[in-house]
Amino acid sequence: MDYRISSYKVSTGNKPVSLACMIGGAVLLVLALIFDFMKISIPILGIELRGAFLVIGAIGIFVGLYFFPTETHHRNIINVIFLFPLLFAFAVTVIIPLILGVGYSFTDWDGIRMREVVGFANYIKMFSQPSFIWSILITVLFVVFNMILVNLVAFLLALLCTSRIKGMGFFRAAYFLPNLIGGIVLGYIWQFIFSNVVTKWTSALSGSQYSMLSDTKTAFIAIIIVYVWQYAGYIMLIYVTGLNTVPIDVLEAAAIDGASPMQTLFEIKIPMIASTFTICTFLTLTSAFKMFDVNLALTNGTGSVSDFMGSYITNGSEMLALNIYSTAVVENNYALGEAKAVLFFIILAAVSILQVRLTASKEVEL
Amino acid sequence: MRKKLLTALMAGVMVLSLTACGGAATESTSPDSSSNESTESTESTDSADSEDSGSTTAPEGSIRLLNGKPEIDSQLQDLAAKYKEETGAEVVIETIGGDTNASDELKKMYQADNMPDIFVIEANQAANWDGMLADLSGEAWTEDTDYELVDSNMGTIGFPYTVEATALAYNADLLEAAGVDPASLTSPDAWKSACETLDSKKDELGITAVFGWCAEPANLGWSSGTHVFAQYLDSGLKQDDTTYIDMLNDGGKIDDARMKAFAEFVGMMNQYSDPALLIDGTYDNQVAGFASGKYVFVTQGNWINGSVTSASDYSGFKMGFAPYAFEDGYDTIIAGPPSYWTVYSDGNVDAAKAFLQWVSDDSAQDILVNEAGLISPFNDCQYAAADPFYDSIKSYMDAGKTSGWHTMLKKDGLQNETCQVFADYAKGTIADADAFVETIKKVIESYYAN
Repeated sequence: MDYRISSYKVSTGNKPVSLACMIGGAVLLVLALIFDFMKISIPILGIELRGAFLVIGAIGIFVGLYFFPTETHHRNIINVIFLFPLLFAFAVTVIIPLILGVGYSFTDWDGIRMREVVGFANYIKMFSQPSFIWSILITVLFVVFNMILVNLVAFLLALLCTSRIKGMGFFRAAYFLPNLIGGIVLGYIWQFIFSNVVTKWTSALSGSQYSMLSDTKTAFIAIIIVYVWQYAGYIMLIYVTGLNTVPIDVLEAAAIDGASPMQTLFEIKIPMIASTFTICTFLTLTSAFKMFDVNLALTNGTGSVSDFMGSYITNGSEMLALNIYSTAVVENNYALGEAKAVLFFIILAAVSILQVRLTASKEVEL
Repeated sequence: MRKKLLTALMAGVMVLSLTACGGAATESTSPDSSSNESTESTESTDSADSEDSGSTTAPEGSIRLLNGKPEIDSQLQDLAAKYKEETGAEVVIETIGGDTNASDELKKMYQADNMPDIFVIEANQAANWDGMLADLSGEAWTEDTDYELVDSNMGTIGFPYTVEATALAYNADLLEAAGVDPASLTSPDAWKSACETLDSKKDELGITAVFGWCAEPANLGWSSGTHVFAQYLDSGLKQDDTTYIDMLNDGGKIDDARMKAFAEFVGMMNQYSDPALLIDGTYDNQVAGFASGKYVFVTQGNWINGSVTSASDYSGFKMGFAPYAFEDGYDTIIAGPPSYWTVYSDGNVDAAKAFLQWVSDDSAQDILVNEAGLISPFNDCQYAAADPFYDSIKSYMDAGKTSGWHTMLKKDGLQNETCQVFADYAKGTIADADAFVETIKKVIESYYAN
């Protein structure tokens, strides 16, 4: 090929070689697939032939694609090749499990095999379980409490940490620290605190000799306390960053105009960091919905409600995520757990989209 | 046109490579999940030993065993070494334990097409593996034991490797000091008077409470929901009597009168328990309290023996089991295998059968009983376990006064519901035995209905 011409082309390559690479690669991949299904195993020099076929086949296809002589699509091909690792990982860990999960929810899968497709039976069943309805209700309640409390506490802490007090770095680190401890560990530590230390105070106050965790209502409060304690520091950091982006000149202008600190806060700072509020409410909302580890370690979903929808509820403090887990793993009902998880996904997606739409309209552009 | 073709091609390639890699990933997990033990070294020696068969499947006679009891892992490794020494055949022990339970791990192994040849199951999991478990009937060891797992459809499927017992574990020294004969505790009245005697001599005996009974549901729900509840199902019955478990599994029915008597007995336990332990206690506190002589009775089984005898303030007292005599004349304790070894029918069945037969014989029982501290389920075993509860358990076994572990046949997860009822009863939010019966009935029925 003429040097001068090829230098004008974006892609350098020739068609037969490229096609040969692609077809050869595809053939090797198909062979690897067939070997896998037929359980054929051909080791050569200690290496499984199937694995070698797979890797060489994949490389062949990419090489073929890269050298495919095209001007119009070369850039797209390069984009896809470079994005492939990410797309692949995303597909394997998120997209494919999601599709499979939805599929499983229509069967009677028990974690080992499925015997039949049951249609919507799992979905009908889950709504006839008072314990599941209860879990949805307290999860919603938890999310509401949590969104308000975490944001309130975090914002106040952020104000504290952006005022010019001494030892600011220390405070920031101290408030953030709980977030670095894993939820399970945290749950067990707090369980110890609640059943030993706090019980001493509450028994003096209320006369009950048992811990907060042994009663549904107080256990619910305990979970909120622990979760706010853990999560407020993280949200605080985001608010601190937000508050630091408010331009000094605007604040100075306000001060010269005679705005009081309260006015500065409500009329200037808060509107200017509205986008931070969007992010923080979104984060607290979704994380509170998905809360699992603290719930598991602190109460494991225990607690009783004597009469709810005509039945005696024994999972008084069990949030949705934990309910899904125990349905699938503890009660050994994977298909029903999947159906609940699908509902969980739909709720979470809908609420998140709605919330972002609503708060985004209140944001101010600088 | 060309663009469309290209897109289609690329999409096809991507899907193809995804599925292909999916298959490959499955394969690559198999050495991974088994490598936590000495598998890798053994496997490499395997391939060196075996003639160039050109396959990754295990050579003749080599089998894998999935063990669910981490505390006996090293003894099972010894067992495998001994087997290799005596017969030349390889057994690879893979242990699952701690926070992962064996049944979850088995599901992963099944999906990954990496099933062990022998694995551990609890009795109510057998139905999940319907059609995949080898029938072991006709094996010589089945003649030597009363504890094999027999399923009406699948035949003899479970090999018993240990016997565990649960009832009210007692501190014999304290009972003797108080002048209470444990053999007399076979009626509710005898229990009541014993409790009153012990309670009145609290200071003299140096005990905190008569019972170390903990109904805390979050971490100890298995104890109340499975083991204490088991006494309702089996106490006073013969080993193979399944009256109440059959009723339970028939849509969650309970026998009101029996449950009432049981509830009154539990009420007595609540009354004479340490309130600090009853609602907010932990397993460690419970066992430590028993070891230090703070409690006369604890609601656990012989698995606490190691923790008790190794406790720093254990005085060396004798211990044994007393029955939950909530009706007159109940004099049995629950004893039997809580879990079984089963053989995967697509695995190396013959080698697995040979191994199990060997395990039931003398040299293997020597290791299991004397080193692992298990109680042998085999009649011809000549070794006495080092377990401090052994004498007591053996006396019940010899007298034929053991009841079955039928609690393992209840619907999965039921213990998480009932344990809360026990906790509420202990706390007093369920006022009396009648309310307990009514509540637990409601809870069980609704759990079985869903």
